[in-house]
Amino acid sequence: MSLLRIHASPSRTTTWILSWVLFVAGITTYFYVAQQRHRENPDDRVMPTAGQMIRAFQDAALKPAEDNAEGELSGTLFTHLRSSMLWKDTIATGRRFLISVALLFPAVLLGLHMALFPYIGAFFLRFIQFFDKIVALSLLPILFIAFGIDELSKIMLIVVGVTPTIILDAFNLSNGVPSEQITKAFTLGAGDFAVAYRIVFKQILPRVLNSIRLNLKAVMLFLFAGEMIASTDGLAYRIALLRRHLGMDTIIPYVLWVALLLFLVDMAIHLFNRKMHPWFQE
Amino acid sequence: MLGRLYRSNFRSLALLLFVTVFAVMAQRALAQQRPTFTVGWSVYVGWNPYYYMAKSGILRRWADKYGVDIRVQRFDYAASLDAFVAKNIDACAMTNMEALDMPAAAGVDTTAVLLGDYSNGNDAVLTRQNLSLAQLPAKQVMLVEKTVSQYLFERAMTLNGLETQIKQVRYVNTSDSDIAYAFLADASKPAVVTWKPLVSQIMKSKDVKMIFNSSQIPGEIMDLLVIRTEVLNRPDGSGQKFAKAIAGAWYELMAMMAQNGAAADKVLAGIAEASKDSLDSYKEQLSTTHMFYTAQSAAQMASSPDIRKTMDLVRQFCFSHGMLGNKTKSPDDVAIQFADGSVLGRSDRIRLRFNTAFMQLAAQGKL
Repeated sequence: MSLLRIHASPSRTTTWILSWVLFVAGITTYFYVAQQRHRENPDDRVMPTAGQMIRAFQDAALKPAEDNAEGELSGTLFTHLRSSMLWKDTIATGRRFLISVALLFPAVLLGLHMALFPYIGAFFLRFIQFFDKIVALSLLPILFIAFGIDELSKIMLIVVGVTPTIILDAFNLSNGVPSEQITKAFTLGAGDFAVAYRIVFKQILPRVLNSIRLNLKAVMLFLFAGEMIASTDGLAYRIALLRRHLGMDTIIPYVLWVALLLFLVDMAIHLFNRKMHPWFQE
Repeated sequence: MLGRLYRSNFRSLALLLFVTVFAVMAQRALAQQRPTFTVGWSVYVGWNPYYYMAKSGILRRWADKYGVDIRVQRFDYAASLDAFVAKNIDACAMTNMEALDMPAAAGVDTTAVLLGDYSNGNDAVLTRQNLSLAQLPAKQVMLVEKTVSQYLFERAMTLNGLETQIKQVRYVNTSDSDIAYAFLADASKPAVVTWKPLVSQIMKSKDVKMIFNSSQIPGEIMDLLVIRTEVLNRPDGSGQKFAKAIAGAWYELMAMMAQNGAAADKVLAGIAEASKDSLDSYKEQLSTTHMFYTAQSAAQMASSPDIRKTMDLVRQFCFSHGMLGNKTKSPDDVAIQFADGSVLGRSDRIRLRFNTAFMQLAAQGKL
């Protein structure tokens, strides 16, 4: 069997086909089982059919949100979209998500400073190493007392949950920059901040961006947890609400929608990284 | 030497394997003669007896009498509903509202065989700073949306002539596992709707007042034991036996709970264990729960005309909040049949049935 050897060389077509096999298998199995369940029970809501999901997604994307049901039905496609449930949920969640991701950048700077400036490192390192191991979700009661149950506590949940990892990652990456380079920069007359920002920061940035990409899912996970616990809007709020009466026909498209959005953000950072750091090769 | 050792080991292993397989098959064969049923329950004052019923051996005695095996399994409430809808369990303890908007609306034909109790103050609307219902529009109210909490709140508003202002209230959907401390921690939220024992926990705080509770809508939030109709009507009759066994065990335990003095306390303490409650705390919860201790009273309530009015309110609530599914165009599409055979909705789409036969058999002592 030469197929399973390291030296095997599948053609491009074969590679392409192989990469889709699991997708096809998963989707086929799903719809096969869904079909069977629907034959048995036409009102089944646990495994909706494709038609039901498409209809539910159209409703979510084009019909006015539930809470202002008296909304006008005329207007262009865009105004429909703007007043829809999906749009509102996406905006609410997207806002929280972007604020949280933006808060990760100060974390990178903190990691950088901890690695380069011994006093800062001595002050923060042990505490953040400890904090990194804290399971943020179990601190919810304290977060509620400190930050209320509105927006702030949701964002703080993400900050507590994800930033320590990013700080430590930036710290380790900064430590990984060869000390010869730093010595050289100093002998060429660079100051402290020139070394930090023009020598070390520039080198770690592409790697840090990659590590942020890896943590996007963690950010989303914490955000979902926060929205499911107490919320008035957002994608996870809707999923939690629909789950209560088995609205799987909306939930499944919602989950795919979230996956798509995450993928696009990930892709955007990836492309940005490539554009900004053409010299960087993994 | 090594070879022989290996061989003898192999032999004893083969023997062991054979014995195991035989034992498992024998057990299977034995079990096959007795149909097995699973009952799901979740922690709640009116459902904790299921725990004690299984633990004390009462249920086993009744199951033996009818020649069935009954397993009792604890779930989280939402998970128990999911398991019932997915047909992983045969019977489940749930409220009349969830029976309608979960299994019945998902096309799983469901029969309510036991009416255990109704909430008589267990569910409550609590506010800070002496706020009244009329002051709540435009304010934030914490509750688990699309559950009996929201039903209770909207009934409270309606009964106080504030029906038109319900839309202005801003609900904060809050998970029941966090609602008590979230409300206590965030003093900017003026109102919360939840159930016991969370209510008792919140009431310990000084400036919180109860402004409405379920004793003001008696009988509208009912706790049932439901069985899938297809299980109940199995051609071999085992479903009926299952229902009889569980009804027999239930009313035996109810009679024990209704005794006075030390004997009842012992039973109640055993039941309270189900939710890790103390005897006092459990008694306090019972005081706001209208338990139907006798089969007569339960059967009477379940066949009274009131239940039709209640279920009509509930189904209109479920429908207007989209809880019967996107496909359901009218509340009539999820029809309800009552003990007297009358139907609310389209008679070709009966999904929830109230069956008093087993309660009546228990009342007549014919189980």
